[in-house]
Amino acid sequence: MNSAQPAAAGKPGPSLFRQIAVRLAILTLAFAVLSIAIVVITYSRQPESLAQELLSLEASRIAADPASAEVHAGPPGSSHWQVRYVDQAFAYDAGHDLSPDRAALIDWTQSERTAGGYRITGVRTIEQDGRQRWLFLQFEGDGLRPYLPVILNEILQHAVLPLVPLSVLMLAFNILAVRRFLNPLRRAEREVDQLDPENMAARLSEPFAPREVHTLVCAFNRALGRLEDAVATLRTFTANAAHELRTPLAIMQLGIDRLPESRDRDELSRDNLYMTRLVGQMLDLAQADALMIDDAHRIDLSETARAVVTALAPMAFEQDRELRFEQVDEAFALGHGEAIYRVFRNLVDNALVHTTGANPIEIVAGPGPQFHVRDHGPGIPEAEREHIFERFWRGDRRSSNGAGLGLGIAKRIVEAHNGTIAVEDAPGGGTLFRVRLQPPA
Amino acid sequence: MTDFNRDALGPPAGLVATMRLLLVEDNARLAALVSDGLEQQGFAIDRYESIDGAEHAQTIAQYDLLLVDLGLPDGDGLDLIRAMRRRGNSTPILVLTARGGLDDRVAGLDAGADDYLVKPFQIPELAARCRALLRRPGNALDSVLTAGNIVLVTAERTIRVNGQAIEATPREVALLELLLRRSGHVVAKPALENALYSMEAEVTPNALEAIVSRLRKRLAAAASNVQIKTVHGVGYALFAPPAADE
Repeated sequence: MNSAQPAAAGKPGPSLFRQIAVRLAILTLAFAVLSIAIVVITYSRQPESLAQELLSLEASRIAADPASAEVHAGPPGSSHWQVRYVDQAFAYDAGHDLSPDRAALIDWTQSERTAGGYRITGVRTIEQDGRQRWLFLQFEGDGLRPYLPVILNEILQHAVLPLVPLSVLMLAFNILAVRRFLNPLRRAEREVDQLDPENMAARLSEPFAPREVHTLVCAFNRALGRLEDAVATLRTFTANAAHELRTPLAIMQLGIDRLPESRDRDELSRDNLYMTRLVGQMLDLAQADALMIDDAHRIDLSETARAVVTALAPMAFEQDRELRFEQVDEAFALGHGEAIYRVFRNLVDNALVHTTGANPIEIVAGPGPQFHVRDHGPGIPEAEREHIFERFWRGDRRSSNGAGLGLGIAKRIVEAHNGTIAVEDAPGGGTLFRVRLQPPA
Repeated sequence: MTDFNRDALGPPAGLVATMRLLLVEDNARLAALVSDGLEQQGFAIDRYESIDGAEHAQTIAQYDLLLVDLGLPDGDGLDLIRAMRRRGNSTPILVLTARGGLDDRVAGLDAGADDYLVKPFQIPELAARCRALLRRPGNALDSVLTAGNIVLVTAERTIRVNGQAIEATPREVALLELLLRRSGHVVAKPALENALYSMEAEVTPNALEAIVSRLRKRLAAAASNVQIKTVHGVGYALFAPPAADE
């Protein structure tokens, strides 16, 4: 039941099933002891009925196995054991008048006191080979010991036998009920495991019953609501802060541009551009986080790619770099045009920042709803690939060209489109980022 | 409410007609920097810091272009734009804003703006966009195009490199003109091809490449310092060396 346990929480206690099972077992045992005590007390108060039962028990034993009548030693601890048939064997004849002798033979039991204890005498009717016979039984004894077989028999019949099915039933009930009652809890557990800070709107489905689980889940959902508010506040703050920074950055940029030409001015200008880029990326990321593609359109990836290349080519040429665009077949996808534009831009930016040299950066749209951006740089080591989409992660901490947000933004946007982004080894060296999107309906 | 009308300062020499711009921006420092920068580029700027101010200004003067910030003290700049468009006012409007969200640009254009520029920006870019919106080819910059050591006089259809006229076919001149008008930017292949087709000459599939190639050779032979770069799969771009080297 408690299969999924968090490693950090240590060993959790016993499962609810076990707890209930243990308590049920204890209850059953107590019940059995009580039944036995009642049986014992009842019979020790009525020795006559014990004697009756004992003779009947012995008689039924002989009836089941006639041969034992001669060798049978009687109840344990008894003496002067006698047993014999007291009738003439005859076949029952419905048409014949019953003999007066036979009518005189009835089951009876007699108990009498002797010097050493008591003597029990009696006659019992038994069925042997389809014939009715009368058996005379007698023994002498002392104390309870001769009655042990009958007491045990009584205990078996009145205490143990009813408890076995009861225990089995309770166990079955335990299994079924606990499983069933805990199902909503387990579903809640699965849903909690799937909670993701990217999708703070998710809530656990509230079970109708049991009420305790319902209450717990509702409380948890309320806590999730408060968390969502907190995360939203954080995101709004990031977005607002970045937004508010844009005007002072614009002022600074224009102010720097008015300074007389010098190396200091150029450096200031570059620093300011870096900060501008960082602020832009923080805003982009905040927007990407909030991005819900609910009005996806049919977009032409080749058109988007051309727009990105057109926008970035001048900057690339300034750095003696080159961008190439190639269209392979039609490349239509379902998406938000401006968002996909930003995916392209971030991938190309990333390639420009992380590679050098004369080799061009290739942007290929199609075939179908996919595109890729490929550079001829050193590639990304296998060990780093799982980190490159993390926020604020940079392969080379010394490089101060970016905040490490670009790929995170791209990934977030692509995921909002139900698409995938993957990094591959480009044939002939370099890195290739491949983005696959949904085809237009 | 501030109203700086700098018309009195007059435009720099060479500008045929002074364009009168209305800047609606509530940040006084930014407004001052922008208007100073644009005045140096030959524009005349009036500054207002609210929607009311902008509406008032338009009742007393006629503007060729509005530069509108969106977050204004008395409302959203988009509301100003929508109100103007509802009244049938078709003055070009350029939005200058910190709002760079995924849908903000589209929202701005839908409201009736003609262009959308996200802060921060640099004056040359802003000026280029203003000129594009004004669509007035009549000023000096449009009749004499220069980049690096190249000068193209559009009326004469002549190219000069370092003051020396060089020989070129009409189609080469047309191509260079298009690239010079968008100097430093990529011009898409279809736009160039359309311009060449319209010259009623027979154009083969590789005509554009051939013309670019010949133009490059001519410029190189004349020791020009501008470069015509190929942007594979997209188009061509003309780059001039930084101003300091001129």
